[in-house]
Amino acid sequence: MRFIARYAKELESRFEIVTVYEDAIDKELIAKDTPVIQTLAKKYPAAIWFERKMQDDFGIIIEDAFDKRPLVHQERFPKDTHPLRKDFVKKSLQEGNYVPYKYEAIKGDGIFQVAVGPIHAGIIEPGHFQFSQAGEDMLHLEVRHFYKNRGIEKMLEGKKLLEAKPIIERISGNESIAYQICWRDIVLQATQQKLPLALQKRHAFLLELERIIHHLTDLGFIPNDAGFGAALAYASKLSEDARRKMQEITGHRFGFGAIGFANGFMDIASISEWLKELRESVVAFEEWIMDIPSLWDRFDTTGILSLKKALKYSSVGVVARASGVTIDRRINPFYLEHGFVMASEVSGDASARFKVRLEEVYNSILMMENFLEEDDTQLSLSNLQDGEYSSFCESSIGELFMTVDIKDGIIERFFVRDPSFVNWQAVHLMMRKDIIADFPLINKSCDLSYAGNDL
Amino acid sequence: MIKFWNKRLELGVLTENLELDNELKAIQKEIKDQVKKKFAGSLAIRMVDSGSCNACEAECNALANPYYDLERLGIYFVASPRHADVMLLSGIMTFNMTPHVKEAYAQIPAPKWVITMGDCPAMEGVFEKTYAIKAPAKDHLPVAHHIKGCPPSPKEIIEGLLEFLRKI
Repeated sequence: MRFIARYAKELESRFEIVTVYEDAIDKELIAKDTPVIQTLAKKYPAAIWFERKMQDDFGIIIEDAFDKRPLVHQERFPKDTHPLRKDFVKKSLQEGNYVPYKYEAIKGDGIFQVAVGPIHAGIIEPGHFQFSQAGEDMLHLEVRHFYKNRGIEKMLEGKKLLEAKPIIERISGNESIAYQICWRDIVLQATQQKLPLALQKRHAFLLELERIIHHLTDLGFIPNDAGFGAALAYASKLSEDARRKMQEITGHRFGFGAIGFANGFMDIASISEWLKELRESVVAFEEWIMDIPSLWDRFDTTGILSLKKALKYSSVGVVARASGVTIDRRINPFYLEHGFVMASEVSGDASARFKVRLEEVYNSILMMENFLEEDDTQLSLSNLQDGEYSSFCESSIGELFMTVDIKDGIIERFFVRDPSFVNWQAVHLMMRKDIIADFPLINKSCDLSYAGNDL
Repeated sequence: MIKFWNKRLELGVLTENLELDNELKAIQKEIKDQVKKKFAGSLAIRMVDSGSCNACEAECNALANPYYDLERLGIYFVASPRHADVMLLSGIMTFNMTPHVKEAYAQIPAPKWVITMGDCPAMEGVFEKTYAIKAPAKDHLPVAHHIKGCPPSPKEIIEGLLEFLRKI
């Protein structure tokens, strides 16, 4: 049974701990004055961050946890402050005493620590990586995040679901359409309505466009991190073209505000023409890049995540599919009818992740051609019913899970698990046989989100 | 590889003459003089993300793509604040990032400027104040210029940088 997420919510007199698995949901009620639970991390290692987050957010004690360090709350965060509790209403915090964070470190003769971040050398998001090194060899890596924690979950509480959308679509810029589709499915569940096929096709088209933009950017950046800059120039041209299409269709380069309940105009002829050109350009890119042995020498066997580990750590998305795990939220009749074929590799290394992205670009182009349709269907929403709703969507990174509780017409609890949240926890496993100079390449080959992870 | 070079020749130069290129030409001399006096011939930018959604970073990366090719204007992104003239700050100044942003600013040698980009650091975006947010950035750093947008497009960033250069 695949572990998906574990989160807490505060009820009148108790906490409810919800654990979501592939095909089951477990709910456990605990007393508020003695909020103690047992860890799941022994069976599902990816539960560690969920539990440490719960401990910070609500003050829930994980009795038998072997890692009780704070996760979201960093050195200066005031002690015994649990911001997701309902009685916490402060809008600003004073810095507390500086308490150093105890990094996981391997110690011994000649072994040293390398601290990287939170601010990195390139134009990327902040996060910290702590390496234990024996010369060039990486012995251990600890990934430490949550520098970007904006308090999104708390921000959305007390809002109406429709008002929450501009915030939800800006949780992770690279996955905006996916977040909006999760939001859309929750709205549909709450209004007990079905989405007309034409709208479903439009949204699916935009989701694939977003995936293409993200994947093309990566197809440039991954070789760039292996010292092959020409690929970045080529692929970033293609991704800019795709981003301009997004602007043309939705009025926004990242598709913010794109998913709604009215169908808009699409210039089918010009889009088909562009898709055709794009496919030819990607074919040319593939022929060129596959023929550069020094590049594949860097990619092959670098950053291996084995199938066994990928399953154990509940990995999702491109990372999982590159290690031979057959999971994709698009495996359903709607997508299969429109030409979906799951991309998959088995070697689990940087080259596998590169190839999965490349395959997915081709498949997305094919599906986008099939999704194109001229239509002006509209759906008028009926009233939202209170309840607990959750939805899934396959973003460009992987499976996105969102859940919303609506009480008296407003959001009582919002929780979202970005695919990055589980995948980050598997990144340290990829470093075992590589040198520190491979780290940027391995990290980029996974291309996980920091913003979506940190919330 | 021959195929690639054929394609390369076929494609030609992609870098666009943006509408502002005429304007650019006009002020390029001005930029040059200014940059020469204040920045020894080139403007070095250290981009720092204090809690954005990553869209601002994506747009800054897009500045390097063949269409925009920012470096032709003598403006480039550097890897360390110690190499920088300007800090380009995106994001909403989270509680956890704020000390690191201040530290990065302290590491930039004077004279130095802070340019904020996107609606977040000015607290003009959709995000509302929570315990974890310390924006606006001007409460923490001397902000010299602001580039609006959510996110500002690459073209808007270039225009914004030009405005900044005129201003100082």
